Amino acid sequence: MSISKSKDLIGQLSNLERTVSEFSFEELSTQDSKVIQSYFNSFRNSLESHIYNRNNGTNLKEQVVEKEEVEKELPNKNQFIAHVSNQIRTPLNSIIGFANLLNEEKLNTSQHKKVQAIQFASISLLNLIDEVFEYSKISTGYINFETIDFNLQGLLNDVMFLCETLMVDRQIELIIDIDENVPKIIKGDPSKLSEVLLNVLGNSIKFINQGYIKLGVSAKECDENQFILKFSVADTGIGIAKEKLETIFNCYAQAKDDTFVTYCGTGLGLSITKEIVEKQNGEIDIISEEGIGTTITFSIPYATGNISNRPVIQNENSDIEKGKIVLSGTEILVFEDNLMNQHLIKAQLTKWGCKVYTHANLKEGLSILATKKIDLILMDLKMPNLNGFDISKVLRAHKDVHINTVPIVAFSADFTEQDSKDCKEIGMNDFLLKPYTLDELMSTIIKNKREEDTSMKVEHLLQKIMIEPKETTRVDLNGLLQDCFGEIEILNELIKLFKMNALEFSGNVKLHLQTDNLKEVAFAAHKLKAGFAMLKANGMRQLIVELEAQCKANRPNEVKELYQLFLNDYPLLEQNLDTNLAGLNKI
Amino acid sequence: MGKRVLLADDDQLLASLLNFRLKKSGYDVHHSSNGKEVKEYLKTERPDIIVSDIMMPYFSGIELIDFVRNELKLNTPIIIISSAGNEQNVLSAFELGANDFITKPVSPTELLVRVGREINK
Repeated sequence: MSISKSKDLIGQLSNLERTVSEFSFEELSTQDSKVIQSYFNSFRNSLESHIYNRNNGTNLKEQVVEKEEVEKELPNKNQFIAHVSNQIRTPLNSIIGFANLLNEEKLNTSQHKKVQAIQFASISLLNLIDEVFEYSKISTGYINFETIDFNLQGLLNDVMFLCETLMVDRQIELIIDIDENVPKIIKGDPSKLSEVLLNVLGNSIKFINQGYIKLGVSAKECDENQFILKFSVADTGIGIAKEKLETIFNCYAQAKDDTFVTYCGTGLGLSITKEIVEKQNGEIDIISEEGIGTTITFSIPYATGNISNRPVIQNENSDIEKGKIVLSGTEILVFEDNLMNQHLIKAQLTKWGCKVYTHANLKEGLSILATKKIDLILMDLKMPNLNGFDISKVLRAHKDVHINTVPIVAFSADFTEQDSKDCKEIGMNDFLLKPYTLDELMSTIIKNKREEDTSMKVEHLLQKIMIEPKETTRVDLNGLLQDCFGEIEILNELIKLFKMNALEFSGNVKLHLQTDNLKEVAFAAHKLKAGFAMLKANGMRQLIVELEAQCKANRPNEVKELYQLFLNDYPLLEQNLDTNLAGLNKI
Repeated sequence: MGKRVLLADDDQLLASLLNFRLKKSGYDVHHSSNGKEVKEYLKTERPDIIVSDIMMPYFSGIELIDFVRNELKLNTPIIIISSAGNEQNVLSAFELGANDFITKPVSPTELLVRVGREINK
C-alpha cells in the first residue's frame, strides 16, 4: 500500500516543484520583484532542505525507496507512514503559507494563475498526506469511538445542508428518505457517523454530472436496547466498472488511473469509511454499474438513546428562526484557512442573522477587531503560518481590553487532551469538535458570546483614563475634523484608513526587519508619517521620522529599538484616538 | 462639469481627504494610487491639472512629469506633493517642468488655493 502511495506523493511533489519553477519573476517591477523573490527564495530553501535531504546526499525518492525496504521489516508499518507524513507536512505548511503571501502581492493574470497552481498543488498534496495519516490512525486502532446520546435527525439535517452547499450551481437533486421507525435520539458516535455519511455522499457528489443522489435511512430493532441503522446512498453518477468493484474499498484503489486528475480524489476516502464502519461492528457494501450509477449501503448497530441525556438545546425542526431570535446581530470573526469551510460557516451564521468576518491571518483579523465590535471568535486550531494557538496568544496579550477579552472558541477536527490544556492555558473560552452539529454550534455561540456587560465598560473606561499621557500617544482630531468641514462620517472613514495603514506598517516593518531590509522599512515609515501629521500625533510622528532617519543611516539596531517603542506606544495612541473620535461623534 | 483634477497619490488617507475637499470645491477628481494607473489614464484622458505625490509605486512623480512633458508633450499644470527635506526632488521636479509644489503635511486648504491659482493662470 505505501509503495503506490509513495509514488503518488512523489508524483505530486514533482508537480508542485514544476509549478514553482514555472513562476517567472522577470515581468514584475523591480520593487515588487525584490520582495517576491525573497519570499520565493525562502520558499525554495524550505522545500529543498526539508524535502530533499541535502546532508546525506539522498533525495526523497531514494529515501522513500530505502524506507520501503525497511518498512517490510517494521512491525508496524503505519509508524512509518506517520513519520513520513509529519516530515512532509511541516515544510508543506510553510510552502502554502508562502504561496498565500505571494498571492497577496500585486501580480498580473498569468503570475496569479501560476501562484494559484502552486497553491492548488500544495494543498492537494497536503490533503493526500492528511488522508494517509487519518488512515494510519484508524487502522492502528489509535482512534477512539464515543458513546453519547445524539439527535440523529439533527445530524442528518446538518449533513444534507453541507452537501447542498457543495452542490450549489449544479443541477443535481438531493433526496432524503427516512423511515418512520427511525428513532430521533440514538446512542453512539455522532462525529464518526457524520464522517462516514460525508465521505459517501461526498463521493457521489464528486462523481455525478446529472441526476440525483438519494440518502435512505431505515432501522431494524434487535432488542429493546439495540437496533441496527441501515443507510443507503444511491446516485446516478459515472459508476464503477465491474472489475474495479472488488477492490474499491482497498486502500488507494481508484476506479481509473486518471480519476485523480479528473476528480481530485486520493483513493483513501472509501477505505477510511470502511474501517470506521467495521470498527463499530457494522458492514458496508457497494453495487455499481458503469454509466448508470452507484449505491453504497452500510449498517451500524446503535443503542437506544435517552432524550434527557442530550445536553444541548433540542430543536427538532429547522432552527433558522430560533437562531435569528437569539443570535441576530451577533458579530463573529472566524479564523479559518480552508475556503470551503469559510464558505460553509459563513452561510450558516448568516442565516441566523449574524455578521460574519472570515480570515486566515492575524493581520486581517486584528484590523477587523480594531474596527468592529466582534462578540465572539471562532478559531480553527490547525492553520498554516500562525496556527490558532499562536493567534489566540497574541490576542490575549493585546493591550486593548476589547481585544484581549474577546471570547474565543476553538474548533478542530481532532482535539487531544494536550490541546484542551493548551486552550485553557492561553485563555480560550471553549471548543467545538469538527464536524459539529448546528445545535452544537448555536449553543456554543450562545454560551460564550460577549454580553453587553456594564462592568466591562467601566473597566474599559478606567483603563482609558489611566493611560499615561505620554507624548508619543497623543492625538488631536480637531484640526482634521475642520479639514473635513465638520463632516464626522468623513473623519470616521479617514481614521479607519489610518488604522489600516498603521497595521500594514507594523506588519511590513516586522517582515523587512527579519532580513534587515532597511530600505523597505524606511519606505514604510515614510508613508506612515504623513498620517500621524494629519492626526496631530506629533510625538509619534517624531518617532517615525527618527526611525526613517536611522534606516537611511543603516543602523538596524537603532531601528529595531525605535520599532519596539512604536509597538509599545501605538496601541495607547489608538485608544486615545478612539476616545477622541467617540467624543467628536457624540457632539 | 467642474475642472478635472488628476490626483496621484498612494497614501490612501491623504488622498481620501484631498479627494473629499477637491470635490467639495466643485472639482471633478480622478484618483490613482500608482504611477502605472496614472499612465494608463493619461493615454485617453486630459485633466485640467495634475496633483501628484513624488514617491509612488511603479512610477514616481518625477517620472510622471517627464512622461507628461516629454512624451505626451502636454503643458497641463502639475503640482507636486513632496516630503520635507527632499529639496533635491523638488528641484528635479521644477527642472522637468512642475509648476508648483506643496510640502507634507499637506494642508488641504493650502492645496486648494494652489490648485485654483494654477488653473486660473
